[in-house]
Amino acid sequence: MNGLEHATPTVIVLLVVALGLLYREFIRIQRGFHHTIRRIPGVDAIEGAVGRCAEQGRAVSFTTALTDVGPVLYACLGVLQSVAKKVAQYKLKLLVPQYSPEAMAVVEDSVREAYSDAGKASLYDPESIMFLSSEQFAFASGYMGLMHREKPGAALLFGSFAAESLVLSEAGQQVGARQVAASVSPEQVAFFICTCDYTLIGEELFGASAYLGRDPVQVATVAAQDRFKLLLVLLIVIGVVSATFVSLVPSMAWFRPLDLLSVGWEALVP
Amino acid sequence: MTRDPRALTLRVITCLGGFYFFLYFVTPESLIEQSGVKHAHEAISNGFIAVGSMAIGLGIINILMSHGMRVVFVKKGWQYSVALIVGMFLMIGVTIAQWRTTHGLSDDIKKVQVIGDFAGRIVEDAKAEPGKHRSYAPHGTLPPLRDRVAALEQYAQATLDGNAHSEVAAAGAETDQSLEQLRSEYAQGVTALRQVLEQLQGRSWESLDTDGEAVLTSILQQAARVGSTYAIVKRNESSSWLSSRLYDFLYNGLFNHLGASMFALLGVYIAAAAYRAFRIQSVESALMMTAALIVMLGQISFGKMLYSEMPAIRQWLLEVPNSAAFRAIRLGAGVAGLMLAIRMWLSIESAKRGGKES
Repeated sequence: MNGLEHATPTVIVLLVVALGLLYREFIRIQRGFHHTIRRIPGVDAIEGAVGRCAEQGRAVSFTTALTDVGPVLYACLGVLQSVAKKVAQYKLKLLVPQYSPEAMAVVEDSVREAYSDAGKASLYDPESIMFLSSEQFAFASGYMGLMHREKPGAALLFGSFAAESLVLSEAGQQVGARQVAASVSPEQVAFFICTCDYTLIGEELFGASAYLGRDPVQVATVAAQDRFKLLLVLLIVIGVVSATFVSLVPSMAWFRPLDLLSVGWEALVP
Repeated sequence: MTRDPRALTLRVITCLGGFYFFLYFVTPESLIEQSGVKHAHEAISNGFIAVGSMAIGLGIINILMSHGMRVVFVKKGWQYSVALIVGMFLMIGVTIAQWRTTHGLSDDIKKVQVIGDFAGRIVEDAKAEPGKHRSYAPHGTLPPLRDRVAALEQYAQATLDGNAHSEVAAAGAETDQSLEQLRSEYAQGVTALRQVLEQLQGRSWESLDTDGEAVLTSILQQAARVGSTYAIVKRNESSSWLSSRLYDFLYNGLFNHLGASMFALLGVYIAAAAYRAFRIQSVESALMMTAALIVMLGQISFGKMLYSEMPAIRQWLLEVPNSAAFRAIRLGAGVAGLMLAIRMWLSIESAKRGGKES
């Protein structure tokens, strides 16, 4: 919704539908309904990578890169908490280099909570969450230095990335870390596919958190988003079919059902 | 309801903040403008930015804590931590010094520009319909034209007689010829402006006639010219000051170039990553290799020489399958983000994830 400062009537309807779907899924969960999430090899690889670090006694690195406070960070935190719990159980070293000071405060809290949940609160090291820089390439060079000094066995790259993505993932490659990346930036996915062992694409990042945590509320959110996405796909199909039909039968040019979606306030508010 | 008062406060603030922005988003723009909420919204948004910027302190504290500890306990690599801390404080100090000088400079430049703006506003207000003037009037009516012109003259003379301006005009011969020429242009401009200001005297200024308007317009133009020359002279002068030179060296000379060097590494890494990706090990990698080959060949004239339709195939690959994949990823991530945002807004968490539901 870039550039949309105020919702059109259609957007409001879609928002209400989204809220309704979420509500429905939460009610179903309260009534004891269980959803299943399909296996994602990349998510299974996270546990494998942490296990490998335990065998080799190497550190685990997790970065949220350029992610600022928002839904993407929130999704990353679910994965980070799950990783931090495993790290705490195996008594490994955790490295969480940070780009955004605002996100760092939230990340710090989440990691501390994960250690505490794992019953290893005393093992929590505040130095494991380190602020590098809020300048893109200064952060990238700091991350590279960290990788070469600490030589972690697993490097997990989750969140929003830009041009520095390849620098980060190549640094992990150079030290032989098993790498799992998840990005909502489609431009960076290709780089991750080339350099990482596993790559989660787009919304898989959001699913990973629910899959790892097995948290019913998160699973319900994934179910609601799937249903909402289905609705959008249906609208796209209607649009494609109607546009194709009109191009084949020009006399039916008036048949544009999706034009209703672009009705503005001026048509409703006098 | 949660029993933890801290968590409850956070949830209430999150919910209220989210509700405000939700309401703002769903309300039609025309209604927002009619109700006059737009100005308040800008202030509220700026407030959020201000709160967010406070977090930079957290970053500084974290750096000081982690690297300070490393230096104090002489841990491995403590020398790098010393370099980092010294670099950070040096940059902070130099940036503050630079900010102070440029801030003072901007104030001086603004003072000259105000002369022209004031003259222009007097003309504009005098020609406006009663009660429709742009200038702020505390009691609804503006002071009489005569008083405003007198105030303009007084302000202009005081500004031009001020220390900063006298210094520029009175500076001696410079080794830098262009700077010397600028100073001379500035001195001529000030003389011309003073001459125009003299024309303000000896007029009744009861109402704005054509001649009066011409004088004020001339002041506007002359003041703009003097202001821009003054700004160039001062900026040229300030570039030789120690704080500016240090800032230039550290930021433009060192920091920017280091960033550019990191960016340049991408070229090498892309080649290394492409080599790994182009090793055909599966159907997917074979597809990727073929697509990449077509896109690369379609980009260069050699590809066109091999097959004239190569650029068109490349274009189709980028615009159709590639765009479709991008849109699918964006749609999926957008919907997932929306659902998560709603959950964050309403603080819907299960008990085991910090919810502590009772």
